Amino acid sequence: MKKSLAAALALVALVVATVLATGATAAPTRSQAGTLTGAGATFPFPLISKWIPEVGKAYDINITYSPVGSGGGISAITARTVDFGASDAPLSSSQLDACKGCVVIPWALSATSVPYNIPGINGRLRLTGPLLAQIYMGEISNWNDQRLRAINPGRNLPDLKITPVFRSDGSGTTYNFTEYLSSVSRPWNDKVGFNTSVSFPTGVGARGSAGVAGVVRNTPGALTYVDVAYSLANKFSFATMRNSAGKYTTPGLRGIQAALSQLPNKVTSLSQLKIVNPPRSAGPLAYPIVTFTYVIVPTQSNKAADLRRFIYWAVTQGQKFGPPLLFQPLPKTVQAFAYREIKKIQGGT
Amino acid sequence: MTTVTQDPAAPGPSLESRGIRLGDVLFRGVAIVAAAAATALLGLIAYKVIEQAWPAIEHFGLSFVWTEAWNPVEDQYGALTFIYGTVVTSVIALLLATPISIAIALFLTEIAPRRIASPIATLVELLAAIPSVVLGLWGILVFGPWVAENLEPWLEKWLGFIPLFGGTFYQAGMLPAALVLTIMIVPITSAICRELFSRTPRDLTDGALALGSTRWEAIRGVMFAYAAPGIAAAVLLGLGRAFGEAIAVAQVIGGSDHINVSLFAPADTLGARIASQYQGATSPLQQGSLLYLGAILMVISLVTNVCAQLIVRRFEKQRRAV
Repeated sequence: MKKSLAAALALVALVVATVLATGATAAPTRSQAGTLTGAGATFPFPLISKWIPEVGKAYDINITYSPVGSGGGISAITARTVDFGASDAPLSSSQLDACKGCVVIPWALSATSVPYNIPGINGRLRLTGPLLAQIYMGEISNWNDQRLRAINPGRNLPDLKITPVFRSDGSGTTYNFTEYLSSVSRPWNDKVGFNTSVSFPTGVGARGSAGVAGVVRNTPGALTYVDVAYSLANKFSFATMRNSAGKYTTPGLRGIQAALSQLPNKVTSLSQLKIVNPPRSAGPLAYPIVTFTYVIVPTQSNKAADLRRFIYWAVTQGQKFGPPLLFQPLPKTVQAFAYREIKKIQGGT
Repeated sequence: MTTVTQDPAAPGPSLESRGIRLGDVLFRGVAIVAAAAATALLGLIAYKVIEQAWPAIEHFGLSFVWTEAWNPVEDQYGALTFIYGTVVTSVIALLLATPISIAIALFLTEIAPRRIASPIATLVELLAAIPSVVLGLWGILVFGPWVAENLEPWLEKWLGFIPLFGGTFYQAGMLPAALVLTIMIVPITSAICRELFSRTPRDLTDGALALGSTRWEAIRGVMFAYAAPGIAAAVLLGLGRAFGEAIAVAQVIGGSDHINVSLFAPADTLGARIASQYQGATSPLQQGSLLYLGAILMVISLVTNVCAQLIVRRFEKQRRAV
């Protein structure tokens, strides 16, 4: 009995020793220069996975990224268990305080479209932000509603129930869409607000862009919001949205570029990057539902050099990988802002 | 001095016994380590879930369990909608899957000729091999629309006087989720039932038949009685599967934050909410609340398992008494 116990203990000791040994060999490689670990949003993940091998080739930096979600990314970088975090929503001031010396850098840009499924309607339907908010609050529930017919003259809108479809998972697209609704509709801002997921008063939730797209495709009368590139790739009809200049615009490259024209020549703070519902001065083409997604980096890091190289590459050469994957290239002013922020990353040791 | 009579050059038996003892000791060690590791892992997971959920447990207390709210903007969270959704989808799935599974098992063991039985059994078991995310996609693209266009209008026509079967038809809601869960648990329960029925001693059923009972009477009186505790266990195993399923449900249930009376309307379950929102959670309280949902799910599963064991034990006692 004693002997068997001793053997069992020996076995346990062996297992522990093996684990320790492998742990010990893994530890130094992790802190070695040339490797970066990141965690955060799932939304930019396709773009980041495209970047990883390219950066590896260019600078011999080995990057791993875990798409654990924006919240997880923020917690991880706050606790410094990763070298960089990524988030769909910019950090709130309390989150920024908690992160103790972090910079938030915009590194990708995207726009949200509003596709719909109305049998027999060809061409683009017109929508306004306030009406969209009323649809998602259940106050407008039929396509032949007077308010919808008023802005779509000459169109025979059917007597069909509107099914608003939303993302049931947390997503940057939801953040962008609800931020827009909050900025154009006071009732929406008071009752619902904006976040990566909100409590939608009515409608059907589905998981992921593919999920909402699937529901819309199969439900006559449904309407939803997805990334523009997703709409384009799936040949959805999507609405033209009225902007502050009173014009109906599409989320094409020109519409997005126009929305960015309101950015100051020299961007100095993150709050200037809130670009939903651009003012009248942005011009008649400006599309109103556009957003940035961000990388979060500590200003003190013993991998500062590699972080600077990687993020600089991402906001410059990396941008050309964006368009096929749902992202628009960053405008020059934002790139310049990003450079200045990147310079704040300093070596700790 | 017995050793004197032994030939020292032939230590065969003692070596052999030493070999056996070494094997025994090793086996014992491996078994102990495996059992201890599994227990420790479960303990660690439970600890970690509660630790991560702590911000929410501290903030909301127990009232979280009966609060119907999920508002990430206001950071207000409660579990009632999801507990309700979990229980209702699982119970419906169970009510449908149990008779279907028993029928399949009886068909395969009693009715079908062996030539047909074994391929059908394999096919039913293959259902369990479909990844749940694929089943969920099928739910969104094919099954959900069918439910909304055919099944729900039919149910409303015949049962519409019950509020559960009224209101607007949705292709993503409680009913499609419950039906997808049914499809997921049938293979498990039917496989176990088949095993149980085929192990019923032949002489018992033969005896019943010889005494003049019909085939159905023999099945009901002998096979069911013999297999009852096993069937109960199989059903509860299926229930555990239904409680815990996250991805497929998240895809077809419609992610509602509110409790709706109608089974057609969108709802949400504990597992589905965690699966869909954990990655996008931005505030620590939202993350904590999602893990709080996970802790509730663990408690519900634990209670179900304990109940299952009590039921099985009760059946066993009854059988012994008979």
